[in-house]
Amino acid sequence: MTTGALIGYLLVPLFGVFLYIAPLVSRPTVQFGVRVPPAHISAAVIRRERRDFQWRSAIVAICATAAVIAVGGHQAWQSRLILIVEFVADLGCFWLAHRRITKVKAAENWFAGQRQTVVADTSWRAQPQPFPIEWLLPAVAVIVATVIIGIVRYPHLPAHLDRSGHRVATSPVSAFTVVVGQLYVTGLWTWVLALVYRSRPDLDTADPAGSLRSYRRALSAVARAMLIMLACVDLTLLLAALRLWQIWRVSGGAAALVALPAGLGLIAVLTTSVLAGRARARTAVTAGAVDRDDDRFWKGGFAYVNRDDPAVMVGSRAGFGWTPNLGNPATWLFIAGLVTVVAALVIIRFAVGL
Amino acid sequence: MLLSIEPDGPVPIYQQIRDRIVEAIATGEAPVGSGLPATRQLAVDLSINFHTVNKGYDLLRQEGLLRIGRKAGAVVQRDASSGPPRPGWEEDWAGRLRTVLAEATAQGLPPEEIVRHCREIVAGFTSGGDGKTS
Repeated sequence: MTTGALIGYLLVPLFGVFLYIAPLVSRPTVQFGVRVPPAHISAAVIRRERRDFQWRSAIVAICATAAVIAVGGHQAWQSRLILIVEFVADLGCFWLAHRRITKVKAAENWFAGQRQTVVADTSWRAQPQPFPIEWLLPAVAVIVATVIIGIVRYPHLPAHLDRSGHRVATSPVSAFTVVVGQLYVTGLWTWVLALVYRSRPDLDTADPAGSLRSYRRALSAVARAMLIMLACVDLTLLLAALRLWQIWRVSGGAAALVALPAGLGLIAVLTTSVLAGRARARTAVTAGAVDRDDDRFWKGGFAYVNRDDPAVMVGSRAGFGWTPNLGNPATWLFIAGLVTVVAALVIIRFAVGL
Repeated sequence: MLLSIEPDGPVPIYQQIRDRIVEAIATGEAPVGSGLPATRQLAVDLSINFHTVNKGYDLLRQEGLLRIGRKAGAVVQRDASSGPPRPGWEEDWAGRLRTVLAEATAQGLPPEEIVRHCREIVAGFTSGGDGKTS
């Protein structure tokens, strides 16, 4: 099995199932990215769109999986193309449901005469959720192991290394690029996670204290799963390094095993996110308090753009996760920084002939 | 402490922030010495501009209820246990109270009902409740 086949056989059905479930496990007062007042959570249009979305996304997942099996998944680009088409098709299904619910909501004026509130719990800042720093240790241990193995192995390396079929001259840069990759991925995602810990919790006006408790639990679970995923990605990079340094000699189908830890880590994060979303979806809805109708800040129901909001990261509307506030200049600065670092890595890679 | 505001309501947001904090001090939820979130943090939590939070905090500072330090941040400076108000404060407050009571009278609420509401609200503060009447 090649890496392309692994992407196809593993990721296409996995994303199919995840994209099928994620919009369905959102809170009752947010359906397909549309804010719904408690009085309308059982509206006919919502029930119908949920059912239709299930049908449509199930068909998308089945067709994408069938396409992967049909092409055999031998070419990595074919699997990636199918994955992108599947994602775009699912996004289309989500957007269709979003548009239809929005239309009925506007026509029937669901929020007319309702007192819309936003609530903040000061205990979130007074007793911030502690960052599970100890869960970063597995990732750090894998990086340290990679560096030690690399240093021990480096004097015994041949003059040229085989890098995905290309022969490159052995140098500290060509031999240790994988460590740079580990540090980049681990550092970047730890930083993003730290930003998430400082961002605002998604509170329900109807039950702020209860929703803060469930948010803390969900955040803690997803953060741990993400830190474990980082260790898995670092492990994948370590396995790639072992091949590059000719310690682990595998070829053909077994080479795809390199990608396996990262794949399992991804499954862990997606599963935890869905379970956390499901737990929050069960929150009781009381008719007393109504959350603010903030649909105008959510483009297509999934992209958040609010210039007046100083937040960089906000809770996403489908499943349990976070999304950047694209209306905040700091977010664009962050994205620009990210693109610059990636571009610099690509330029360095070409410049040193890797 | 829970801070609940209506961003699209008729009352300016900074005024709502000021009002909610005054109520929290009255009920004992925010006693003397207790810290409030930094302006930027509260702005993020309420998804509003941080200048708006600053304005609300500044009102409380001018009223002597809040102390804003560079290091300690915003700290509650006085509550019911801090003794009587400064001279002249009561006259100002009575003037504002007059308008609120005039609203009730103009809307036809009987005097005994108005007094009952006042009594219940004050009793709610001293018992640690939210002071809201049914």
